[in-house]
Amino acid sequence: MTAQPATTSAGPKATGTRLLLRTSLHHDGRRMAPWLALVTLLSVSSVLVYPWVFPDQEDREALQQAIDANPAVGLIFGPANDLLTTDGFNAWRTLALGGFLAAMGAIFTVVRATRGQEDSGQAELLASGVMGRSTRLLTGVAMALIGALATGIIAGALTIVCGGGTENSLLLACTWTVTGWMFTGIAAVAAQIGADARTSTAISVGTLGTLFILRGFVYSVEGPAWGIWINPLGWMQETAPAGDNQWWPLSLGIALTAVLLAGAFALEGGRDFGQGLIKPGPGPERGRARGPWGLAWRLAKGSAITWTIAFVLLGFVFGYFATSITDLIQEGSPLAAALASGAVNPDDLVGEFLVSVLSLVSIFAAIPSVQVMLRVRSEEMEDRVEPIMATATARPRYYAANVVLALLLPILYMGLAGVVIAALASGAELGVDVGEVWLQAFMMVPAIWTIVAVSVLIVGARPKVAVAAWAGVAATFVITLLGPSFKFPDWALGISPLWHAPNVIVADTDWTGLGWVTLFTLGFALVGFAGFRRRDLAVE
Amino acid sequence: MSESTPVIDVTGLTKSFGKFRALNGLDLTVTRGEVHGFLGPNGAGKSTTIRVLLGLLKADEGQVSLLGGDPWKDVVALHRRLAYVPGDVSLWPGMTGGEAIDLLGALRGSLDEARRQELVERFELDTTKRGRQYSKGNKQKVALVAALASDAELLILDEPTSGLDPLMEQVFQDTIQEAKDRGVTVLLSSHIMSEVETLTDRISIIREGSIVRTGTLDDLRTDTRSTITATLARTPDAALLAALDDVTLSGHDLTATVEPSQVGDAMALLTQYGLSDLAVQPASLEKLFLELYDQATR
Repeated sequence: MTAQPATTSAGPKATGTRLLLRTSLHHDGRRMAPWLALVTLLSVSSVLVYPWVFPDQEDREALQQAIDANPAVGLIFGPANDLLTTDGFNAWRTLALGGFLAAMGAIFTVVRATRGQEDSGQAELLASGVMGRSTRLLTGVAMALIGALATGIIAGALTIVCGGGTENSLLLACTWTVTGWMFTGIAAVAAQIGADARTSTAISVGTLGTLFILRGFVYSVEGPAWGIWINPLGWMQETAPAGDNQWWPLSLGIALTAVLLAGAFALEGGRDFGQGLIKPGPGPERGRARGPWGLAWRLAKGSAITWTIAFVLLGFVFGYFATSITDLIQEGSPLAAALASGAVNPDDLVGEFLVSVLSLVSIFAAIPSVQVMLRVRSEEMEDRVEPIMATATARPRYYAANVVLALLLPILYMGLAGVVIAALASGAELGVDVGEVWLQAFMMVPAIWTIVAVSVLIVGARPKVAVAAWAGVAATFVITLLGPSFKFPDWALGISPLWHAPNVIVADTDWTGLGWVTLFTLGFALVGFAGFRRRDLAVE
Repeated sequence: MSESTPVIDVTGLTKSFGKFRALNGLDLTVTRGEVHGFLGPNGAGKSTTIRVLLGLLKADEGQVSLLGGDPWKDVVALHRRLAYVPGDVSLWPGMTGGEAIDLLGALRGSLDEARRQELVERFELDTTKRGRQYSKGNKQKVALVAALASDAELLILDEPTSGLDPLMEQVFQDTIQEAKDRGVTVLLSSHIMSEVETLTDRISIIREGSIVRTGTLDDLRTDTRSTITATLARTPDAALLAALDDVTLSGHDLTATVEPSQVGDAMALLTQYGLSDLAVQPASLEKLFLELYDQATR
């Protein structure tokens, strides 16, 4: 750590930091643990599983080919430089994703310790104590920096213990830590800009998501070098653990962290308690939301607008990317060989490829809906459902308003991203037309509903384990992205509802999957509704 | 439903959260048109009772009747006829107070426009601020305006004025009085003694999940002792001292307490000792409740 106010040599601005930090680590430290555990699990599992699933050279080469042939995977994981060694495989699988998780952990830690406390009024109690102006921000930042460091040390050490190469694994671990640090800086700045925790989190996570997708995109389409070097996540990728092992790009990340933190403390010194740079003006005097439907939309409106823009952009990224399949079919590639031998029908190949691209978009399209459902729970716990239920609103109607909104949103998002992808794909001489690709985007919607229905079930019937609402998204993500390359059997791939989406681009379309996913959606939703109707509200 | 049917009729209500028994055979009756005080120490089960009445929690045991219906089953029909103000008002952070009032009114199905306007003015509420910008008292005002502007026949108020300033407290008392004049029944949970004294017709006191006392303030007062302060010409003897309790003597000044029904007898006794100054005070409300809460623990 660097910036001058950030030194712990207790200047008056930082009085009380040591005490507050110790208390915060004691009480909130464990909330960083899941992120640390996920990174560790991700990395340790790949060094343990890889030699077991891919014991000999032949299997490994087959894997490399499978990954090379499916660049959709590269959008998330980045380039697969070397899948023939355990370390190379681990670097490919965990560099981007581990960094993403470490960054999320850092963002939530900083925002919670600064804006979150200001929203809940806890910060006011603290700030009235013997405490410098910058103490709370400094504490949040210190916690996040420590958390990211611990992530690197623990996940890295365990990876080495479980069989990872020392230098390769160390460098990999450093990229997670430095990614966590950079986003500590970004979150610290965002916490000064947004006027509440929600806005600050949205700014930080939005930045992370954008940089993450751009990194994958630039590598996948083999974009220009500046596209990589303007992206801090690109610096991490350029360290190339288990490849060239470049250590110096890490220093760029550390320098950026320092600059961001200095900026955050400068902004912090100039703002009023509880205020941000973005100041909300007076709102409407009269309300237009006149029922549970209006309320659900009123609460979701802000983020729905943001997501709408995001999905149009995702459409461009994925659509442009979809056109890259022409490069793959070029002479000399393994796919071209398969095509030449007549083993694969080119139409089917393009169809499969577009479905796999749309599957990725579908996973993203499920996220806003799960957020809508989880908001039902947070509204409940913050005692805002109580006054609604005290009016003439039946529980099923209140729940239905949110569920229907959660089901409608994916149609909008898939429609938007789909039309952009369809337009780009049809213009790229892939032999597909706009209509069928767009229709395919809508064909994914019933499967997205099943993913969303998992959260309908959890929030309705088992809200104590609210985090399980993400189970559908997480499982689909893992199966869709890793299943095929890990040679999962069909029954395992079939756990993902997206696997059942009918493909209308190929010659003969199999529609039976639609029935299955709808059956599950209905089942999950029914249990959710029954649970929400029967259970006590706002009880832990 | 006839006029004499109680608006709230609860018998033997029990509710547990895991091993913790929050309500333990609670009985509560609120008759039509009365303002019923619902009092008790913190954590005694007031809010849990109210949440059962609102159908938010399901009773484990006991009969609960609200406006002649079952609060768990007849949610919609019953909630059209009642309005509720929670103790901790949590507003939607990005929604203005005006929007929240209109939403809650629309959800209930009744919002008297003229009264909304009038209440906003009387409570001096800025309806264009957003939920997160309101202070505690102003959040409560938003909830109060939403509830009082409705045509509900029952108001359930859970410590509605804990954040209001004395001026607003006065406005609140006036509006409740007006509601009562319209024939509205009110269940009022409160810790503010003056409010309870001015507004309530009857009171129920809850302690550790069951009602320990119900009655009018006067009924409850008969159970507590009056304080006598007297100046006597002669030093009292054992006969007098035996008739009084908590006696303290300092020179010719005597302080003691007696049951309200014994005040006359005590007077007669005291005059025998040459009474030169005398004051008899009924127990103050604070003292009354201290005694009632305290007794209930035993």
